[in-house]
Amino acid sequence: MSRVLVPCHVKGTVALQVGDVRTSQGRPGVLVIDVTFPSVAPFELQEITFKNYYTAFLSIRVRHHPSAHTPAKWVTCLRDYCLMPDPHSEEGAQEYVSLFRHQSPSMTFPKWLSHPVPCEQPALLCEGLPDPSRVSSEVQQMWALTEMIRASHTSARIGRFDVDGCYDLNLLSYT
Amino acid sequence: MLQEESDLSLIIAQIVQKLKGSNLYSQLERQAWASLQRPEIKLESLKEDIKEFFKISGWEKKLQNAVYSELSVFPLPSHPAAPPEHLKEPLVYMRKAQGSWEKRILKSLNSMCTELSIPLARKRPVGEQKELLNKWNEMGTDEPDLSLFRPVYAPKDFLEVLINLRNPNYENGDSLSFRTHLGLIQVPLKVKDIPELKECFVELGLNTGQLGIDDSTQVPPELFENEHVRIGQKVLAEQDSAAAQQYIRQGSPTALRAELWALILNISSEPEDVLYYEQLKTNVIQHDLLVDSLIYKVLLCFSRDTSVLSHFAYNSASPPKSYIRGKLGLEEYAVFYPPNGVIPFHGFSMYVAPLCFLYHEPSKLYQIFREMYVRFFFRLHSISSHPSGIVSLCLLFETLLQTYLPQLFYHLREIGAQPLRISFKWMVRAFSGYLATDQLLLLWDRILGYNSLEILAVLAAAVFAFRAVNLMEVTSLAAAEAVLADLSTLKVMPLLQIFLFATVT
Repeated sequence: MSRVLVPCHVKGTVALQVGDVRTSQGRPGVLVIDVTFPSVAPFELQEITFKNYYTAFLSIRVRHHPSAHTPAKWVTCLRDYCLMPDPHSEEGAQEYVSLFRHQSPSMTFPKWLSHPVPCEQPALLCEGLPDPSRVSSEVQQMWALTEMIRASHTSARIGRFDVDGCYDLNLLSYT
Repeated sequence: MLQEESDLSLIIAQIVQKLKGSNLYSQLERQAWASLQRPEIKLESLKEDIKEFFKISGWEKKLQNAVYSELSVFPLPSHPAAPPEHLKEPLVYMRKAQGSWEKRILKSLNSMCTELSIPLARKRPVGEQKELLNKWNEMGTDEPDLSLFRPVYAPKDFLEVLINLRNPNYENGDSLSFRTHLGLIQVPLKVKDIPELKECFVELGLNTGQLGIDDSTQVPPELFENEHVRIGQKVLAEQDSAAAQQYIRQGSPTALRAELWALILNISSEPEDVLYYEQLKTNVIQHDLLVDSLIYKVLLCFSRDTSVLSHFAYNSASPPKSYIRGKLGLEEYAVFYPPNGVIPFHGFSMYVAPLCFLYHEPSKLYQIFREMYVRFFFRLHSISSHPSGIVSLCLLFETLLQTYLPQLFYHLREIGAQPLRISFKWMVRAFSGYLATDQLLLLWDRILGYNSLEILAVLAAAVFAFRAVNLMEVTSLAAAEAVLADLSTLKVMPLLQIFLFATVT
């Protein structure tokens, strides 16, 4: 299945605050980021990827226009998804995160947003690890990812440290 | 595909990729081809028969050990969108701090170079090469004349950098509360508390036999020691890395230690390894490096070993770069310096010294040291957020002390003796040179067994707990240092066990 980046416009953060916004005391704990999709054609959202920066919990709400006659409605897709298990420490603070359509029972997209293919029902998560031989036969699909990893690793066994027998150096360089 | 399944596939793919380039892979291929001659291998059940053959002949076990080794060393594959720097160190401010620290070291080395008019690298004239080759076997552990060279850096300098680490997004607040961290480290890394440590180090508990405690002369060997040795021999006979790692949590019998460590680190002595070492020795003979003045024989070879460069994928540090003279900025003439990318600091040789008691064959000793370095020791002198990194160890030590020995901690602070200033040098050297050798080896058994350096911080806290009474009476940093100057009589395992499992919390 081919996947495509959906063009979107990410607006600046707005703090949710009660009372006088200008007071410096009482720092808001909730920030809102609006994301709009300029392209009008409907699409099946598969995955949302982002890099975290000290957000502890994430909720996602989606605004839904069912038709021209009914008013738009906000639907919650994800509530208080934990990104940082201990918000006072660094765990998860700057991690890359992906949220998938089928990820967990609490992540449900309204029908208009996704058209679940009949045989692709989300399987139960708990029953222990999947069968390794079945999984390893699906490795083919993962080669694209491994290629990316391989390209970024300095795993080459270089062997020689000189250049054509020469290791006459000047000074160390700062880059 | 579910997230869990795709993660597993990714891990499998990554490990297969890594092992494909290894010696073991070609050996397995050869074995598989050769096995076709065997009568029990039938064409209709080829795959199953070969798998069965691998199982019986012990090759499957070798493969399992290699996979286990990869899992222990390499971090789990990160998110596909994460760049390589993220794998080295996920926190941007830590990466920046490491970068600045590295720049300082490079400047220091460059100054040494220009001040003493000694080149970074020099090809030895033939006469000198011959002389060095002859002297090689006598070199042993003689310390070279270091009078001209000042160390590139001392642990104290590194500690100052760690003390100044700050997370720009962290607000401590002006008012002191019970949550305020009174120690020197001011970054909010997650460290374990004693209940979590007890869970993690469960095999060190009061009800489990330990070498270092239950093998003392007063304890009859039938109670624990004999059986433990027997199990150790069985583990070695099975050649199972994972079992060895589990076993060694209770300590290794002296006679079995060399083999057990080699099994856990997945070091085999193939002829290729001996040849590789000889090649490194040749590189040492041919080129004299400025960094050589700072280190001993095994480390001379270590500096020339380019295979060490691969560990920088998961080390927050990066190898220094240089250019061939006259070719500054031309990438075809860019090289790493030293070839392995690791600049040794004052006391670096302490990582090697204890191993000399276990291994006498130079290439084996070399391999063990190299593997210990790329698995553990590198974390003690680079800035990262890893739970076994030196920053976390420092914070763990300070937090344990502040939480469980608050009176002592407060007293030492008051007299200007921040505990970390004393314990830092122990942890940075993994206690080498401070403990008696047999005790140090018992400690390093557990580093291997738990695949973590956290035990160093726990031991440091346990030492302070042990000497608490004397420390409460001192009134200066110098006096505190004096109380903790001599650790050579300490028995590590009882200290650890009491601190974790027998102290009222």
